[in-house]
Amino acid sequence: MIRELLRNIFFYTIILVFQLFVFNQINLLGYITPFLYLIIFIHYKTSYNKTILIFLGFITGVIIDLSVQTYGCHTFATITICYFRGGIEKYSFGVNSNLPSAMISGTQLINRLTFYGIIVVFHSIIYYSLVFFNIELFWTIVLNIIINSIITFIIIWLISQLISNK
Amino acid sequence: MQSIINSIVANRNLIIYLILSFISFNSLYINSSVHYNGIGKTATYLSGKSSFFSSSINSYFKLKDENQKLIDENLKLKEIELEYKNQIVEYKSLESNSIINGSVIFNSINKSKNIIVIDKGTNGGVNEEMGVISSKGIVGIIKSVTENYASIISVLNTDLKVNAILKNSSTIGSITWDGLNSKILKLNDIPLSSSIKIGDTIVTGGMSFYFPKGIPIGTISNYDNSSLEGYYEIDVSAFNDFSSLSNLYILERNDNDEIKILLND
Repeated sequence: MIRELLRNIFFYTIILVFQLFVFNQINLLGYITPFLYLIIFIHYKTSYNKTILIFLGFITGVIIDLSVQTYGCHTFATITICYFRGGIEKYSFGVNSNLPSAMISGTQLINRLTFYGIIVVFHSIIYYSLVFFNIELFWTIVLNIIINSIITFIIIWLISQLISNK
Repeated sequence: MQSIINSIVANRNLIIYLILSFISFNSLYINSSVHYNGIGKTATYLSGKSSFFSSSINSYFKLKDENQKLIDENLKLKEIELEYKNQIVEYKSLESNSIINGSVIFNSINKSKNIIVIDKGTNGGVNEEMGVISSKGIVGIIKSVTENYASIISVLNTDLKVNAILKNSSTIGSITWDGLNSKILKLNDIPLSSSIKIGDTIVTGGMSFYFPKGIPIGTISNYDNSSLEGYYEIDVSAFNDFSSLSNLYILERNDNDEIKILLND
């Protein structure tokens, strides 16, 4: 129990440090910044408390917001995906979603792809809509959502494979 | 109480989510000028829309009061107008002293002796033989009165004869009705020696107990000068549409009795 908690805190810290000091510094082509930290909410086990997940999302969002000075855009996007994660799980995994720790192993590939994809795209839509907050920049927002979702999805998918192989 | 607490506990995730969303939006609103302007604009738009909506509903409910106010105002203006006209012709002996407002509750135009009934009677100050006009021109004379109602002999009644003059030349004649067309009155007693033309305005002549001088009646629509009696036969198209009368004004004159005494002597 204690070991699991310590392991989770370690995992969380590592991801956050990587996000803050590596990925936030990346600015490919002027507007690509991968959101590695979403992997925290994807790998949060279904058997854990959902209320704690929302607070975890809030704290993570605030930390990222403070580091990149977006004043609440990350916070709102993360607590929203944390709140709706239950629904996304049900939609992606169907009946299996009630099984504890059914997340990484023992699920269909297509289910996992859907789950990862929805969370990444949903987060990008909320985040970029809030950051630009201007309907006249609609196409800029759409372009950012598409490119960033793809890059973030690929990175999260690769790191997930790495973790589960260990 | 228990059920309230239960529902709060059951929906704790939603409540926490809403509170945290509020905190993050508040932080955006305070710290970022882009969001401050955007949210402020939306708020102004919404409050403007809602106050416009509520004020238009309020004004609709006030329409009835507004209407009554306009009728009262009209009454006052009519009084002033008549007073003013009387001053011009210096016709003070037959001055109309005040006006009573009444609404039509019965009206006919398709008989030869048409009667109008209004909702004012002796209680409202109406007496027999008062003149009745509308905003457009003369209507008739009060025939009989009860406590709350009065009947009017309409101009569209073959019994009524009203003193009238040509507005331009002051030639005196009298207005009657032949019982045929409710829009056409007849002007009699105009000698062939006077000059008239189609479109001339006919007004009351003031030589009667009922109407002061200068109340409009109608315009000449047609005339015939081939009569052997030496008088024109003139058709007058009335200003009033007698089929759609609603608000009438009754002219109260308190010097009729004095004049009648003189005449009887």
